[in-house]
Amino acid sequence: MSSFLHFAQHRLQEICLGIMALVYTARLVWIFRFKPGKERQATTARRNTDRSKGQAYSLLNVAMPWSMESSRRNLFFYLQFVVFHLGVIAALGLSFVIPYAPQLLQPTVVLLLQVLMGAACLVGILRLIRRATNVYMRAISSPDDYFSVAMLTVWFASAVLAAPNNIAEQGEWASLTYFLLTAFFILYVPFSKISHYLYYPFTRAYIGRTLGHRGVFPLQRGPKPANAPELRAQLAPAPAKEG
Amino acid sequence: MPQTRSWRAQRVIDRLPKKLSRQVVASLVGCVHCGMCTESCHYVLSNPGDPTFAPAYKADQLRKFFKRHYDWTGRVFPWWVKAKSLYTDEDLEQLKDTAFGKCTNCRRCTINCPMGVDIATLNRLTRGLLTHVGVVPEGVAVVSKDQWEIGNQMGVLKEDYIDTLEWVSEELEDELDDTWQGIPVDKMDADVVFSINPREVKYDPRSISDAAKVFHVAQENWTMPSECWDMTNFGLFSGDDELGGAASRRLYEKVAELRGKTLVISECGHGYRSTRCEGQNWGQTDVAFPMESHVLTMLRYVHEGRIKVDRTKNSIPLTFHDSCNNARSCGFYEEPRELLKLVTTDFREMYPNRAENYCCTGGGGAMSMSEYTPRRLKSAKVKAEQLKATGAKVVVTSCHNCVDGLADLIKHYKLDMKVTQLVNLVAEALVPLERPKHFEVKPAEKAAALPLAGYKILVVDDEPDELTFLCMVLEDNGATVLRAEDGDTALQIAREQKPHLMTLDLSMPGRSGVEVYSEIRNDAVLKQLPVCIVTGRPELRQVLYKQAVRPPEGYVDKPVDEEKLLRNVRKILEIEAGTD
Repeated sequence: MSSFLHFAQHRLQEICLGIMALVYTARLVWIFRFKPGKERQATTARRNTDRSKGQAYSLLNVAMPWSMESSRRNLFFYLQFVVFHLGVIAALGLSFVIPYAPQLLQPTVVLLLQVLMGAACLVGILRLIRRATNVYMRAISSPDDYFSVAMLTVWFASAVLAAPNNIAEQGEWASLTYFLLTAFFILYVPFSKISHYLYYPFTRAYIGRTLGHRGVFPLQRGPKPANAPELRAQLAPAPAKEG
Repeated sequence: MPQTRSWRAQRVIDRLPKKLSRQVVASLVGCVHCGMCTESCHYVLSNPGDPTFAPAYKADQLRKFFKRHYDWTGRVFPWWVKAKSLYTDEDLEQLKDTAFGKCTNCRRCTINCPMGVDIATLNRLTRGLLTHVGVVPEGVAVVSKDQWEIGNQMGVLKEDYIDTLEWVSEELEDELDDTWQGIPVDKMDADVVFSINPREVKYDPRSISDAAKVFHVAQENWTMPSECWDMTNFGLFSGDDELGGAASRRLYEKVAELRGKTLVISECGHGYRSTRCEGQNWGQTDVAFPMESHVLTMLRYVHEGRIKVDRTKNSIPLTFHDSCNNARSCGFYEEPRELLKLVTTDFREMYPNRAENYCCTGGGGAMSMSEYTPRRLKSAKVKAEQLKATGAKVVVTSCHNCVDGLADLIKHYKLDMKVTQLVNLVAEALVPLERPKHFEVKPAEKAAALPLAGYKILVVDDEPDELTFLCMVLEDNGATVLRAEDGDTALQIAREQKPHLMTLDLSMPGRSGVEVYSEIRNDAVLKQLPVCIVTGRPELRQVLYKQAVRPPEGYVDKPVDEEKLLRNVRKILEIEAGTD
């Protein structure tokens, strides 16, 4: 292994992670400077719910595609979301496994990681296409939105190639590309929309507390009529995809 | 060269940090622009292809200048995250168009956001910033002014409010038993203080009457305040927390002053949310007494056996529309259904329903913003389809705003439906009292001093406010008033009740006043019935006089002058008396 690759796998990652931690700490300090709003009124929850249940429901919402109409009606999109985020976890995990526990990269594990990250890469491409072609998505997208998804997509591809960690046969380029991209990714994330995972606990916990206190969360749905699919199709025509 | 900024734009930017809570900041930085909220909005569904209606797009209009001034990436690289400051009054006008004209703050997008971004709260915050600098739709400004200055959002004067309660009380004398002593006003230590929406005073006194009937039959120890009775709150719609807090405090303080035990809020979604939930937060005040929706009160009465209901009296097919404020912001959706099933026989669930229901499209103050009416009605398409799919003939809702919003879209989309509220259905289903007071008009027993005492007058008008006004004037002068909102009902009442006089509006949907008039004159029984035409369309006078029938006995132009109306009525009745 060249000294540059060693630097890219170890010291560079450590520096970038340190900077990320500093930036995130500053970000958390910033967000905690704002006072939280308070619900003074007595609860309106007459059913078996309260702040805590609402909060738990809200935080776990991500794992309950049936809980929101938007994910319930777009299960393929939800599946993409799952694959994409598992891909991120896998690719990030890989950046620790290669330098610190390479023995874990047995052929089956490598294959599983490659399938997962490859699928995430495909999802990234689909999302870029959707963002660029859907009139609504185009209207709300900033350069950061495009760049973040594009960067992650390329990063997934590099992770697929780096996963076998076979420098002797492959050469260093795959690993080097992956670790340099990981370093850039870690540095860029706190300044981009990718840092949404830092805010997720705030937004979900607060809306969950509020709507739990008010008896809205967990959402209760009424009986579905037999002709629900037709009604749904009738009520919610698919919005135009092309602008 | 730095761009100059209008003072209004500067004030909006300066005001923003004062309104930022941790929840709001999290919602401002947490959006990933995934677009999952898009299809949850009725504006989007009814206007496909226009991205300016997308919830994320609307929230971004606030997010843009938040990022430009308060978020680090936006401050350093604004173009990268589409951060943009506000500079001109035109920018503010554009923001107004989005915040007021393209969103009803129904919160449907919020519950469909995977990130938990409270988009509706962001929109309300934007409205509040604009209200702070006076950039608001005129209707919102007028209504807010009335709420600040007169104490209720429709500018109802104390005398008019008391008058209405008095004549509602008098009307109920005919229906209720001998223990009825009128609506109690400012009664101390009542178990229930009942607060209402000014719309009920102005346009829908029947709901006050029905509520009073229910309270009376339940033998409730109740009262209504003479002042500070408005439970609605335009602060919710304008985003003005100061107004929201002040309006709520007025009501809370009045209840405390009367030493009321429970504040009962009549059926109004935004009123319930504002008074029950938000008011204490806006006003930074704690309230010692419990508050509840009138729906819950009525449900309790049924469960406790304090009122008995006969559900067969409401057998028409009906559906229930959940008000956004009740369902999505207060979790109040099962209780209305429970009550509905107790007082009706043919309830059909709307789909989607409860917290996932679509907005009536008249929420968020939309009914007061006439400049956006065409857009509102176009966006109501999805709601119209939803209503139509139920096959119901009546849509029930626990919200006055929804009543107006739904009635408007029903008319626009020509749906064969009517809108009503639970209180009306409960009053209709009340079983007869054990000690009914048999009522018969006996002129001599009526207050002899009143000029129209002993006369039965049928008032026919399709406009609720006009109908209310005419009835009020005639009743104040001692007449027993019968009312009809359309031609068929008018003819039926005329045949059955044989009034001494009919006042007739000419422009009515369905059978017009002209047709009704012709039928009266050609009817063997009704042809002698004196008719006083009350119309805002003088050109129709010619049509009447061209008919080969006896001309009407009286004629009054709209807007109706009270004196002129009474003069006409007195004149006609004196002639009749002489003839008899």
